[in-house]
Amino acid sequence: MGTIGADIVLKTLAEEGVDVIFGYPGANTLPLNDRLTDSPIRHYLMRHEQAAAHAADGYARATGKVGVCLATSGPGATNLVTGIATAYMDSTPMVAITAQVNSDLWGRDAFQEMDIIGITMPITKHSFMVRDVNQLASSLRQAFQLASTGRPGPVLVDIPKDILSAPCGDQPKKIPAAPLKRIENPEQIERIAQALNRSERPVIIIGGGVKLGDACDRATEFVQTARVPFVTTMMGIGSVASANGFNLGFIGMHGNEMANRTVHQADFILALGTRFTERSTSVIEEFAPLATVAQIDIDPTSIGKNIKVDLPYEGEIQNALSALIPLIVPRERDAWLERIRTDRQTLEDKLIDGGCGQAGNLIRKIQAAMPRKTIVVPDVGLNQIWTVRTWQSHSPRSLLTSGGMGTMGFSVPAAIGAKVGAPDRDVVVICGDGGFYMNIQELATISAYSLPIKIVVINNGHLGMIRQIQDLFYEARFTTSALGDTVDLTAVAKGFGIPAERIAVDEDPAEAIARMSGATGPYMLEAMVDQNNYVYPIIPPGASNMEMICGK
Amino acid sequence: MAIEERTISMLVNNQPGVLSRIAGVFSSRGYNIRSLCVAETTNPEVSRITLTSRAESDFTEKIKKQLDKLIDVISITDFTGAPSVQRELMLISLCLKEENRQEIIRAIDIFGCRVVAMSEDCLIMEITANKDKTAAILRYFEPFGVEEMNRTGAIAVFRQKREG
Repeated sequence: MGTIGADIVLKTLAEEGVDVIFGYPGANTLPLNDRLTDSPIRHYLMRHEQAAAHAADGYARATGKVGVCLATSGPGATNLVTGIATAYMDSTPMVAITAQVNSDLWGRDAFQEMDIIGITMPITKHSFMVRDVNQLASSLRQAFQLASTGRPGPVLVDIPKDILSAPCGDQPKKIPAAPLKRIENPEQIERIAQALNRSERPVIIIGGGVKLGDACDRATEFVQTARVPFVTTMMGIGSVASANGFNLGFIGMHGNEMANRTVHQADFILALGTRFTERSTSVIEEFAPLATVAQIDIDPTSIGKNIKVDLPYEGEIQNALSALIPLIVPRERDAWLERIRTDRQTLEDKLIDGGCGQAGNLIRKIQAAMPRKTIVVPDVGLNQIWTVRTWQSHSPRSLLTSGGMGTMGFSVPAAIGAKVGAPDRDVVVICGDGGFYMNIQELATISAYSLPIKIVVINNGHLGMIRQIQDLFYEARFTTSALGDTVDLTAVAKGFGIPAERIAVDEDPAEAIARMSGATGPYMLEAMVDQNNYVYPIIPPGASNMEMICGK
Repeated sequence: MAIEERTISMLVNNQPGVLSRIAGVFSSRGYNIRSLCVAETTNPEVSRITLTSRAESDFTEKIKKQLDKLIDVISITDFTGAPSVQRELMLISLCLKEENRQEIIRAIDIFGCRVVAMSEDCLIMEITANKDKTAAILRYFEPFGVEEMNRTGAIAVFRQKREG
């Protein structure tokens, strides 16, 4: 067999360090699937293309490497869209490869022809339509470079079938890319240091960019050296260990009261890798009204996007912190730290079960039963907030969650990607019944590959977060949020070949959790909780971070 | 923030889909492109896009950062408020009636327009001027019955080489 385009694709992927792709074949991907037999790259056959994109995303979040998914033209490509958008919103490095119809059919509404480049333009960093087989390797290399540098994100490469099957010669080996030229601005770092040194009530906000920029160790060192309390965004959780004494929790709509209150009182904020989305800040005009704001981010468009920034710095967070640490003058801020300490005690006493009720207790028990290095993958909704508020992240890349896009159905396929990428770590899915249904077909993938993923479905028979919002802000008119109790999810899981059991509302979950954590293969727990088990505090729409509702 | 007309010019890769990406940066943020001019430069692999949009004063900085992130955008310049020559080309097709024929011919001369086609009851004139002047000329001729009008949108060149 002579070399064809498909061989170039697989060879280039291998050179880029790809060991796994998540995909689903179609007539137009077949030249590529056909050559997989001769490639070291493993292809995981998912049960839906959306799941392939989420799996590539989960793989990237767990490993820090670029995740790769593959789908055919037309419906295969459009099914990737939600997964690509999810990766885009959370800045996950991903390369999505789609097959396209033969180039002589373009623009003729051919079978399974779809302009996926046009469709994905707003949700990709860039995209390539490969029009010449000799451009294949270079387009793919550029895609990997773009996906993984700067603010990471998804890049799409659309390859017509005739290019995949076109005979061609070997294409030049990887040419090391010239490092991006960055304008460093040491004076600005000095100004930020001076403002921090002067401040009496400083707070650090840690966003998802700290993890993405591999700056977690530096951030920890910075917190310890400066002895400054920190809060995180939801995406920033775990960048510095949750148990760190300076951690005040995460800010925003469903965040910790202590975190929101402290930011409100701060006179200086150093934001690391966050764009200040409205979920974190609530009403922006009332966010941190007393603070001078310094923002460090690699992405120039994220600086000042949502908030007025007094001291912006564009660059690698890691480098910025390295430059900042020696400039810190240790300073006694006893009054500030003491005030935080007492406030915290008062709040903790006030909030029973951390505001998460029975579901929170369940998650605490699950974490206690699982090894320390476990990766937890919540879905979206109440289950997500219960998890991020309860689970203690000991290390970065241990909590994988769809933050920006809030994609229900993310957890199960993302967990597949995480487990494939980090086979030596345990992976637990914490999912609601609503999100579980959205990618339930992936139980078949878990089963087929015997992936030892633990799935906990917290079942309240409702779209719980929607129900809570209806309860609080729509005068308890519960429309369209009841899923009912007619389905036996344990039977469904067993049908897919996954052992499963149900924990009743009034049952002690300890033994079932022990059976799950002890299982060598996949396992599912369906934990029933009351439909009124909400999450508190919550910030009403249109209110500020200080107007938390702490109960009905 | 004050809303005003902004003129931005950029060099881009001369490839399919590039204009669509650039338009997406504007449309996804709710900005309307008021005029748009695209043509090849002396390098056939590079095109120049000149466009105008009405927006707040921090618009250029925010939009420029977004455009900078596009792989196909090579460079961006903002002509708003800078010393530059800006021109657009406008064609006006006008009805001629006996009673206003003389006035129209005189006005064409005064405005420095050029007649490019003429018949007994109709003429087409060409105007190259900056946007304010083309607008004034159009306003003047409108009462005489403009059959058709088409304009290119602004293109611009700096008056002197900028520093840095």
